[in-house]
Amino acid sequence: MWFKSRSAALGDFEQLVLLGVLRLDDEAYGAAIRQEIHARSGRDVSINAVYTTLDRLESKGLLRSWVGEPTAQRGGRRRKFYALKPAGTAALRHAYHALQSMAAGLEGRLNAK
Amino acid sequence: MTHHPPALAVRLLRWRLPPEWQDFILGDLEEEFRLRADTSPAAARRWFWRQAIRCAAAPPKPNNATRPFHLVDRPGDPFMRAILSDIRHALRVFIRTPSYALAVAAVLALGIGANTAIFSIVNAVLLRPLPFEQPDRLVRVFHVPPQTTFPGMETFPLSPANFLDYQRESSSFEAMAAYNFRQLTLTGTGNAEALRVAVVGPDFFRIVRTQPTLGRTFVAEEYDPARAKVVVISEGFWRSHLGAAPDTVGRTLTFDGQTYTVVGVMPKRFSMNAWGATMVPMWAPLAWTDKDRTVRENHNYQGIARLKPGVDLAQAKSELQVISKRLEQAYPAENAGWGGTAIPLQELIVGDIRRSLLMLLAAVALVLLIACANVGNLILARSMNRRKEIAIRAVLGAGRRRVFQHLLVESLVLSIAGGAAGLLLAQIVISGGASLVANQVPRAEEASVDVRVLLFVLAASILTGILAGLVPALRAGRTDLNDTLKEGGRSDASGAGSLTRRALIVAEVALSLMLLMGAGVMIRSLQALRHVDAGFNPRSVLKMDLNLPDARYKEPAQRRAFYDALMDRLGALPRVQSAGWVDTLPVTGGGSVQPLVIEGRAELNPREQPTVSVRVASAGYMKTMEIPMLRGRDFRSGDEHALLVSASAAKLLWGDTDPVGRRATLPLISRTRTIEVVGVVGDVKEQLAEKAPPTVYYYMRDLPFGDASVALRTSADPESVARAAVAAVHAMDAQLPVQAVHSMDEVIEETLVNERFRALLLEAFAAAALMLASVGIYSVLSYLVRGRRREIGIRTALGARTSDVLRLVLLEGLKPALLGIAIGTAGALLAAGVLDKLVFGVKASDPLTLAVVAGALLLVSIAASLLPAWRATKLDPLTILRDS
Repeated sequence: MWFKSRSAALGDFEQLVLLGVLRLDDEAYGAAIRQEIHARSGRDVSINAVYTTLDRLESKGLLRSWVGEPTAQRGGRRRKFYALKPAGTAALRHAYHALQSMAAGLEGRLNAK
Repeated sequence: MTHHPPALAVRLLRWRLPPEWQDFILGDLEEEFRLRADTSPAAARRWFWRQAIRCAAAPPKPNNATRPFHLVDRPGDPFMRAILSDIRHALRVFIRTPSYALAVAAVLALGIGANTAIFSIVNAVLLRPLPFEQPDRLVRVFHVPPQTTFPGMETFPLSPANFLDYQRESSSFEAMAAYNFRQLTLTGTGNAEALRVAVVGPDFFRIVRTQPTLGRTFVAEEYDPARAKVVVISEGFWRSHLGAAPDTVGRTLTFDGQTYTVVGVMPKRFSMNAWGATMVPMWAPLAWTDKDRTVRENHNYQGIARLKPGVDLAQAKSELQVISKRLEQAYPAENAGWGGTAIPLQELIVGDIRRSLLMLLAAVALVLLIACANVGNLILARSMNRRKEIAIRAVLGAGRRRVFQHLLVESLVLSIAGGAAGLLLAQIVISGGASLVANQVPRAEEASVDVRVLLFVLAASILTGILAGLVPALRAGRTDLNDTLKEGGRSDASGAGSLTRRALIVAEVALSLMLLMGAGVMIRSLQALRHVDAGFNPRSVLKMDLNLPDARYKEPAQRRAFYDALMDRLGALPRVQSAGWVDTLPVTGGGSVQPLVIEGRAELNPREQPTVSVRVASAGYMKTMEIPMLRGRDFRSGDEHALLVSASAAKLLWGDTDPVGRRATLPLISRTRTIEVVGVVGDVKEQLAEKAPPTVYYYMRDLPFGDASVALRTSADPESVARAAVAAVHAMDAQLPVQAVHSMDEVIEETLVNERFRALLLEAFAAAALMLASVGIYSVLSYLVRGRRREIGIRTALGARTSDVLRLVLLEGLKPALLGIAIGTAGALLAAGVLDKLVFGVKASDPLTLAVVAGALLLVSIAASLLPAWRATKLDPLTILRDS
């Protein structure tokens, strides 16, 4: 396309994954993100869903990744770590603000049963 | 302890995950698995499997850089997506051309249905374990009789004293029990009814490990003759006679005027047709008196035992042999030459039928193969018509693999639809037919669709789909794009396509010939058996079984008087020419085999003492059965004790001297009474397929037992006399049950059920094969003629006559048919070794049958070729040449 479009809005699950990466800092890799999402949101997602999303976010330019050293407790396999790029942080902030402002004044009703 | 994730799941992931993701995902999963395994390894394994399956179903895509552009960002896995789209496409195609899809599915449904029906019987008979706990540990215990005096007999019932010694001295068995059968007459519940009751020794129920659903089995004291008036009844009897009353236990039944108490009801699954000891309406305790226990030379009891854990069959057998050797030395007069053996119950039940069933399964598989060839042909014809479509697909970038997969998916969809219909068909056949074969095949009544049958159908469907679709799919993949598109989709029969078709004809004809040969040989064998001269004339003979209850006919003289009066009465009935009776009729199975000692000679030990079949018979029996008198005279009613010997018995016992007037003893009946031989009669077969055993007929004044099979020779259809005959019995004793009233022809047919069953099924398979093969030849030839229209048109234009064209096309069809007949003949001769053991009076490689079958197949091939050939002669050269 001949003009640069604004980055597309983040999906629900993309937001969870990005928040997981943010929360885990330097220790953000597939299993850790999966467990973080499971523990906090209750969603028991499959590992491939996490990686598919991570891969997509990386190709959108929101994440960067690097590969760690093999460790014994993983049967000698390597980890792939992820961290937010500035664009990722911005997109997450954007989504968060959008949610926050949409929800402003509704806190009482949202918390009620 | 370190836990490892399930290896199979890891392998699944390795297979499905793109390589660049494997390390990370497998590593992550293993890491979390170990964390979880610390609390619960089982839960962790389940979790791992769930994750693996979810990953395998939709794995992350390979990296963008390596992805072809047209697959980018489409959801799902490309392989699965392609398969799904193929299935959708196939369904659309079939909806558009329903007649094609229906034809293929119907042929496959028949093939798979027939296979499934046979397999479900095989499953019930050969594969499903007997309905007892650890049935493979159950063995029957037998004597092995001395081969010198019981030639060819491998097993023999046990005598009480020997059984007790086996039981006491063996250590291979958890327990061993004796049993046999007794006829009891039930009164007090409407009509008097004769019941066959199994009389079972202590431990019988413990050995089969089956608990009654109501009440109990027998307690130790009930094996005492004074207290044995108790029965355990079957579920069937409980329903039919006692209305399934919950308070049945404690009720009483009257047998032969004596009162028996019901103590228990056995579960339904325990009544298994295949084993005599369980197919009875009730069980009573085997109560031996002290005298019974000492009987060593009278072999009347069956033995059942359960092997101890860890003991194998060979050990048990050799232990029985060792004990038998010891008994031979201790009791040479009774036991010389008598061995012992154990045979697994399952083997005895399945024994003879295994070969039959496997042969039928092979035959029905041939039918399926022929169906595959036919369907392959149809698919091929279609894929030729669709060459243009396929070529266009290829031009648009579908690789050979993709086209191959597409066509294979089509045939798989059809075969699975056929399989589903086949399953339905088999279900109908089983529910309707299982009871028909139940008498012929042990446990066939248990045939049903279970998981194993379902798996079989699935496997058969997939295999069929692949077999039928493989050749066409491979061929389509090889299509030359250029040619196809240039030709403009014109179909052409030249080249490799027609070669494949001819090969399919060859295969169909060859397989059909093998099936026809099998059916032909079976039919000839059945004919041979039906026309065996059994030594008596079964036409126009009515038979019925009687059993005088001991309670009312205590005295031997009473029984004699009853039967003499009955014979007079029956002989005087209209359309009855003569009447007689015998304790066991020929070809019905069973009957006594005893040593016979010629007067003046010492009784030898059992190894050397000749044995003969002994039949207690009446005066009119020989005449009624038309067993020829060869010498001397028949029994007379004035006789006290007299013997008639069969020709082969005379030869065995007296050699070339005339036995008439000689005397002999039957030591098992009486050691002191010598009986005169009054005549020699013809040999009578006990089994149609076997040699007539040496037999003596014994006329005794005082009858020691009350059961007899009465035979009537009639001047009209024997069935027409049946009612009057039964009435004559009841006129003498209204309480007496009359059983098994049949014509002797029926009795003989009954012994042939197994042969009939095999012949019938093979005939059906052969007919199906013949039909499929002729349709196959016809359709291939029609196709070939269509392809050679131009050639034929030119030939006709150049002056070829009708007969030339006819010959051309006929030869086209006959060449592969003849090749098929040749290959089929070779196959039939190879298979003859298996069949030979199943046929009687004819070789499985019988040249006459082979010639007839090959001739018939040739005729069918000609007939199937004629229509296309005739059509070819009607082609108008002008039209054809103008069209092209």
